[in-house]
Amino acid sequence: MWMPRDSTSLAELLADARVWKLGDASAAPSRPVWPTGRRALDARLPGGGWPTASLVEVLIDDSGLGEVQLFLPALVRAQSIAQVAWLVWIAPPHEPYAPALMQAGVDLSRFLVVRPPTATEALWAAEQALSSGVCAAVLLWLRGTDDRWLRRLKLAAETGGTLGVLFRPERHRFESSPASLRVLLTREEPDFRLELLKVQGGRPGLVESDRS
Amino acid sequence: MTTGRPLPLPVPAPLALPASLALPASLALPAPLALPASLPLALPAPLPLPAPAPLPTPVPVLAPTSSAAPLAAPRSGQRRVPLWYAAVFPALLELPDPGAALRPLIREAQHFTSLVSVEAPNALLLEIRGSLRLFGTPECLHERIDARWRALGLVAVTATAPSTLAALWSARAGEPVVLDAPAALSGRLANLPIACTAWTEERLRTLRALGITRLGEVLRLPRDGLARRLGPTALFDLDVALARQPAPRRAFVARERFRARRDFETEIDSVAYLEQALAPLTLRCADHLRGSSCGVQSLQLRLRHRSGPLTRVHLGFASITSEQRRFTEVLAQTLTRLELRAPVRSLELVSGPLETLSAASRDAFAGSGGISRRDTAEQLVERLRARCGAQAVYGIAPVPAHRPEAAWRKVCEPVGRSGAADPPCAAPARKVSAPITGAAAGGMPRPLWLLSEPEPLPAGAAAAAPRGLRLEQGPERIESGWWDGKGVARDYYRARRNGGPALWVFQERHSRRWFLHGLFA
Repeated sequence: MWMPRDSTSLAELLADARVWKLGDASAAPSRPVWPTGRRALDARLPGGGWPTASLVEVLIDDSGLGEVQLFLPALVRAQSIAQVAWLVWIAPPHEPYAPALMQAGVDLSRFLVVRPPTATEALWAAEQALSSGVCAAVLLWLRGTDDRWLRRLKLAAETGGTLGVLFRPERHRFESSPASLRVLLTREEPDFRLELLKVQGGRPGLVESDRS
Repeated sequence: MTTGRPLPLPVPAPLALPASLALPASLALPAPLALPASLPLALPAPLPLPAPAPLPTPVPVLAPTSSAAPLAAPRSGQRRVPLWYAAVFPALLELPDPGAALRPLIREAQHFTSLVSVEAPNALLLEIRGSLRLFGTPECLHERIDARWRALGLVAVTATAPSTLAALWSARAGEPVVLDAPAALSGRLANLPIACTAWTEERLRTLRALGITRLGEVLRLPRDGLARRLGPTALFDLDVALARQPAPRRAFVARERFRARRDFETEIDSVAYLEQALAPLTLRCADHLRGSSCGVQSLQLRLRHRSGPLTRVHLGFASITSEQRRFTEVLAQTLTRLELRAPVRSLELVSGPLETLSAASRDAFAGSGGISRRDTAEQLVERLRARCGAQAVYGIAPVPAHRPEAAWRKVCEPVGRSGAADPPCAAPARKVSAPITGAAAGGMPRPLWLLSEPEPLPAGAAAAAPRGLRLEQGPERIESGWWDGKGVARDYYRARRNGGPALWVFQERHSRRWFLHGLFA
C-alpha cells in the first residue's frame, strides 16, 4: 500500500492538479466566472460565480420572484469588463423596463430584446446570439423545449464563450438537461428559495439566503 | 462596433440624394435646391464663394450703386466669383416628363464642367468659371456650349452671368447676354420683365398692381417694404441675382446601383436551388461594390414568374456593407421564410443606393470569408431580423419622462448608437435622464418588468391597501402629463403578496383604485 511521505502535507496534496476538489470554491476555475453578488451562492458554485461559456437553467413558475435580479450584478459586471458585451433577452415575459435596467447599471446601448414569433425561432435566435461571440449573456424565456435543442444551446454557449440562461417552468425539473448548472427557484419569504439541482464540478443542494 | 459614418454635411463629394430609380448606372434627378447659403455644398474646390455681403438691415434702397460694396472680392484678384451658364429648353415643357428628357442633356453639359445643376423643369445651370482655363474666355465657352445644343438639334435659350439667378432670369427672358463682371449685373437685370423670375403668380400680381413690370423697378423699391409685400424669399432671390448672396448649387451626380439578372432554362420551384443560383450574383455584387469602394444597406431580390406579379424580397443590413458573407447570410435566413407562389423563371438582384464605405466599415479581409471567426453585433442583429422580422429585434432606451409608461422607448437601430450615427433625439434623452433616474434611485427602485397596461387590483377591506397585498415601500407620488390629456396622479408602492413576488402597484389618487403596474423580477 502506497503511503504519502511525512513531508507531504495536506496542502501540497490539494495543490496537485490531478486532485479533483468537490465543491471547493477556491479551486482554480477552468474559465472565468462572474460573481453572483450573493456570498452563500458564490461559495457553492465552482469558481465562485456564474460560469461563463455554459448553459444555466433556471426552473421557475412565478415570474417576478427575483430571478433576473439573481443575474443582474453578473451581467453588469460582464458588460463593464468585456469589449463587445451585448446582452440579449429573448422572449421575455414582459417588457424590460429601461429605467430599472439603467438603475441596475446595465449599458442599454448594448442591450437587445428579441421577440421571435415562435418557440423554435426563439431557440434559433438564442443559438445565434450565444454562438456569435458578441454577447456577454443571453437570457431566454421558454415554455418548453426538448433535450436536443438544449444540447445545441449548450454547444453554442461554449462556442461563443457566452453565458446562456434559460428560464423554464418548474415541471421540467425531472427531465434530463445538458445544462451545466440547474437552479430551482420557488416562492419563500422574504423572496425565494434557491436550490441547486445540478452543479457540474460542485455539490447540489439548497442554498441558504445570505440576506441578513 | 460602431460604424463611423461621416456626417452627411461636410462630405466633399456630392450629397446623397433620394432616388427612386433602379436602373443600372441610372441617373436620378436631384431636385434643384435653393439651399441656405451656409450649407457647404459641392462646389469645385478652387472656387471660393464671395463672402456674403454684410447687409446692413436698414438699407432703404437697393440702388445700383449700393451693389459695389460687397463686390470688392473679385477685384482683389484672389477670390473668384462663380460664373454661371444657364440653358433653358422651351421645347421640353411640351413633353410629358421634362425631367427624363433633361437627363441626356446633363451628360452633354458635363463635357464642359463638373458642376451641372438642374433647375426644374427645363433648365440647366453650369458653373463655367472653373473651365475657363481649358476653354478660353467666357464668350468662347458660352458659344461652344451653345454650339453643342445646336448640333444636337435643340433649341436652347442661354445666358452667362456671375450669379445663378441672373443667368437663369436672362435666359428665361430670352436675353443672350454674356456677362462677367458682377458690377454690371444690376444694370443688365433692370430691363428684364418680372415674369422671368418664375415667382408665384400671386407675387407677380402684387407687383403688377404696383405698376411694376421690370426688375429694375423692383430693385428700386425699399428693402423693408419689399420684404413685407413679397416675403423675405423675394429679397433673397434679388440678392442672389445681384451676386450679393452666395447661392451654391448641388452638382448633379449620376446615381449608380448594382443590378444583375439571371434567367433559367427551366423553372425553379425550390428555394434551396434559388439560394444556389444567387451565389454568383451576390459574388458579382460584392466585387462590384469593393471595386468602387462602396457599400449598400439593402438589396432587393426580384423573382419573375411565368405569370403574375414579381416577387420582391427585401434584404436589409444593419450597416453599410460590401461583404458577400453578410449578403449570403441574410439571404439564406430570408429565403427560409419565403414561400414561392409560383415557379421562378428568372431572378434579379438589385442593390440599394451605393454609399461610400467609411473607413471603420472597410475591412481588409472583407468578403474573404472565414477569416474573422466572430461576428459583429451588426451581423447578429441583421441575421436575427432576417428571420424573426425587423420589428422583433430592438433595443430600449430610457426617456426623461415622469409617467412610468412614457419613461422608455424602443430603439430600432440598436447597433452603433454610441457612435456618430446616434439619432439626434437619443443623445439629449440619455443625458437628461440621468438626474431623473438618479432621483428615482434615491427614492424608489423601478421594476424590471413593466406591464403594457396597468392591471386593476381588487380593493381590500381597508382602502389603504389592495386585497391580499402588503405595502412595503412608498408612496412615491407621480403626478404628470396634465398638459396632453393623459395626465396621471398616482401613488406608487412596492408591495408583496403573501410570500409572493414583489410588485409595483399604484393607487389612482382620484378614483382611489389600485393597479398593478410592474414586477420586480
